[in-house]
Amino acid sequence: MEHGKDPRLDQIFASYGADRARWPASERSLVDEGGEAAREAHEIDQLLSLASTPALPEGAASRLMQRIAEPQTAQVIAFPPAPRRTRGTLFRLATAVPLAASLALGIYLGAKGSLDFMLPSAITGGVALNDDPPDDLGGVGEADIYAEESLT
Amino acid sequence: MTDAGLLEAAAGRDHVAFAEIVNRYYQPVYRLMWRMTGGATEAEDIAQDAFVKLWQNPAQVREAGALKGWLMRVASNGVIDRSRKPRHGDIDAAPEVQDPHARPDAPLDRSQAARVIDQRIAALPERQRLALSLVYFEGLSNIGAAAVMEVSVEAVESLLARARRSLKESLSSEWRELLGGMAETGR
Repeated sequence: MEHGKDPRLDQIFASYGADRARWPASERSLVDEGGEAAREAHEIDQLLSLASTPALPEGAASRLMQRIAEPQTAQVIAFPPAPRRTRGTLFRLATAVPLAASLALGIYLGAKGSLDFMLPSAITGGVALNDDPPDDLGGVGEADIYAEESLT
Repeated sequence: MTDAGLLEAAAGRDHVAFAEIVNRYYQPVYRLMWRMTGGATEAEDIAQDAFVKLWQNPAQVREAGALKGWLMRVASNGVIDRSRKPRHGDIDAAPEVQDPHARPDAPLDRSQAARVIDQRIAALPERQRLALSLVYFEGLSNIGAAAVMEVSVEAVESLLARARRSLKESLSSEWRELLGGMAETGR
């Protein structure tokens, strides 16, 4: 930015270029002091003016009008119907009965504790069998012991 | 007839009114898409899609005075959606045709210079390219461009400044040659 210059002017040059006609109408009264920002903006404008100006391809408007003239039909693709169940009630029972029996057996053995020897000690061991009174599970009752230890 | 009248007539399935809307705005929307796609052949399809959406429900345009901006916004969203897919048929992908009589040190002629500039614009980040195309090439005001892009005016200004700066940096090697060529051709 040049000394003593309106900083907004540099922003205008950087964004809109040097051509005042392209500036926002409210900013056109800013005084252009013709500094470095203006010169650089002018060069970029010159380069941009070299860009192509594409023309609409031949027949493009007709193709568009033809497209809207076509009936707008929804493209619906029907799902194939779901296959009918071929497995009968007997098959379903043959699967369900052993599953129900194994579930019942598992509940019975689990409640009896017959399978505890197969389970890890984290489940059946000391932690799980903690017999602290229920109101002292947080260890608050042992706080005074810890306090004494830290004093000695 | 005003845009509001044309939209009302188009809502009543008036093809003549819709053809007038096409006549007014297809060219600028296509030009914008051409720039956004880097000159790809799909520019026409994307521009066309915006008009088909308008035809399907003209009542979507809440402010008839902003019809051109609405079309540009819908088309821009379309091009952004497509840009996430692999591109083909654009300027960069087109094979470079070498002129057997060209001298490497000769200044670029007008069409070569245009091609270089188009390529560099096409290589700008999407939103910078859109801001530059709307404001510089399509002559929209900063407020109009902000409405199309659904951002603030300050954001548009920032994108424009970054686009111009990026363009200058990307043209740094050809900068003097391009400007020199312009001086030779008396521009």
